[in-house]
Amino acid sequence: MQGPVIKPALAVYTGLFILFLYGPFFVLGILSFQTGPEGGPQFPIVEWSTYWYRHILGLTPPSRIAPLPIGEALVRSLVLAFMTMVVSTLLGVLSAQAFRSRFKGSGVVFYLIVLGMMVPGVLVGLGMALVANTLGIDRTWWGTAFVLHVVYTFPFAFLVMLAIFNRFDASVEEAAWSLGVSPARTFRHVTFPLIWPGVLSAMLFAFTLSYDEFSRTLFASGRELTLPLAIYGTFSVEIHPNVFAFGVLTTLFSFALLAVYAILMGLSVRRARRLAIQEDIT
Amino acid sequence: MSTTLAPAALNEPQVQDPGRRRGWAPYLLIAPGAIWMLLFLVLPILMMVYVSFWTQTTFAIKPILTTKSWVTFFSSETYLSSLWTTVRIWLLVLGCTVIVGYPTALFVGLFVRNKTLSTVLLVLCVIPFWTSFLIRVLAWRPMLGEQGAINIILMGLGIIREPISALLFTELSVVIGMTQIYCVFMVGPIAFMLSRIDPNIIEAARDLGASFPRIFRKIILPLSMPGVVVGAIFVSVMVLGEFATSAALSGRKTNMLGNIIVTQVGSLKWAFAAVAGVVLTVVMGMVVALLLRVVDLRREL
Repeated sequence: MQGPVIKPALAVYTGLFILFLYGPFFVLGILSFQTGPEGGPQFPIVEWSTYWYRHILGLTPPSRIAPLPIGEALVRSLVLAFMTMVVSTLLGVLSAQAFRSRFKGSGVVFYLIVLGMMVPGVLVGLGMALVANTLGIDRTWWGTAFVLHVVYTFPFAFLVMLAIFNRFDASVEEAAWSLGVSPARTFRHVTFPLIWPGVLSAMLFAFTLSYDEFSRTLFASGRELTLPLAIYGTFSVEIHPNVFAFGVLTTLFSFALLAVYAILMGLSVRRARRLAIQEDIT
Repeated sequence: MSTTLAPAALNEPQVQDPGRRRGWAPYLLIAPGAIWMLLFLVLPILMMVYVSFWTQTTFAIKPILTTKSWVTFFSSETYLSSLWTTVRIWLLVLGCTVIVGYPTALFVGLFVRNKTLSTVLLVLCVIPFWTSFLIRVLAWRPMLGEQGAINIILMGLGIIREPISALLFTELSVVIGMTQIYCVFMVGPIAFMLSRIDPNIIEAARDLGASFPRIFRKIILPLSMPGVVVGAIFVSVMVLGEFATSAALSGRKTNMLGNIIVTQVGSLKWAFAAVAGVVLTVVMGMVVALLLRVVDLRREL
């Protein structure tokens, strides 16, 4: 744009920036193929092997390196992320629907909701632990940690839905209502299909954020670990390449999740297009 | 909304008073979310402030009000130095994310006029977020260690003879790690603000003979400031509340307020943890208020 030098320089810089973002992860991926069980989490690669991947799946003979405690933790994390996803998406849709009309105190409520994603996990986690202690409630991942996960993800769902409703043409709802369709049926057949892409995005946000959340969980869940807590536990002891292999596997899982989202999104777009074509014909 | 609900109410005999329903509907819809936030966000924070004034005994806290924990905090070398460490790391990381992120944002937001390319670049920036945060932190260990990738590359290029051991388990490694993890939160808002600059303005300035540094100083930088402030708020809040990165990359040598809270909770010193939490909240509030004073976001966005 300006002069022959600046743009290429910035392009090179951006390339280096991307390298900075991905570099550590490439190294991690390479080292996950270190030989086991004697190979350490550093260069050089003694011998390429898939030992640590088998180690995670429990397919290797027992060695001095304890397997990662991930079996039950994975199930807990998935259940927790699913619960969080359902509740925070529901709350997000309801709240965003409320914000379609102006009501008294909407400014305060807006900040109250957005605060949930801004306040660091250490603080809410600590506060929740104190509340639970005082009231004599046991801290559990499905109780105290779950409500904090929703506090964290609900604002994201809310903001996504708010953006969707902002572009939403209310006249289609009015048309249905004026034709005598009940509000419930209108929601089911008119509103919901229109906001579905937004709901899907809100669900994706809530699920991935909750699945990866650990600072809130650290304080608010009891003795039973979720997946991020199991990884956090390895920080204090000597790390082995099995953590790296696990990192590669979780990343692949996340991409699978992303692919499911992309497919669902593609389907809903295609369906909308098909409906539009049908309307054109009739 | 008021006009949209009226016809529906007319068609529904079970709703007697359409006016009342119209007035109450938003409150009913917002109530679950608002109550959830009050109970599980505001109440815990208030509880933290309250407990910071409780009496701490060896293994328990008693609801007898005292300022003893506060006095202990502000007369203890460890706690005060962790407060200073928190502020220092915050400033360093904030500076680094701006320096590292701004040129990238400039390229993505202003120089790339090809929609596909800028989308691809932004997606590339976001993809790492689908890896667990903790794994991303951990990935810096084999990068920075004495036998790590950076040392091997530097030695291979003949730049250094001996591996640099100061790269890992120091404050430097914490700053590097946090900069990488949080810089995308800086790039996003800045790139967004830059992409909204009307190219005609820059074109006009150039036609009038302004050099690029001048255009940057007079047009690009001021117009991108709201993005910098939004990014700075994101980064600040996240860095100030950090404890995992500093624990993993400093070998527990760098203790931020977050680390203090974790250790205090671990040894059941709830009142001290609460004091550290309140101090952290106050610091965070001051930082956000300060940043909001730099630019009036409501006017700019």
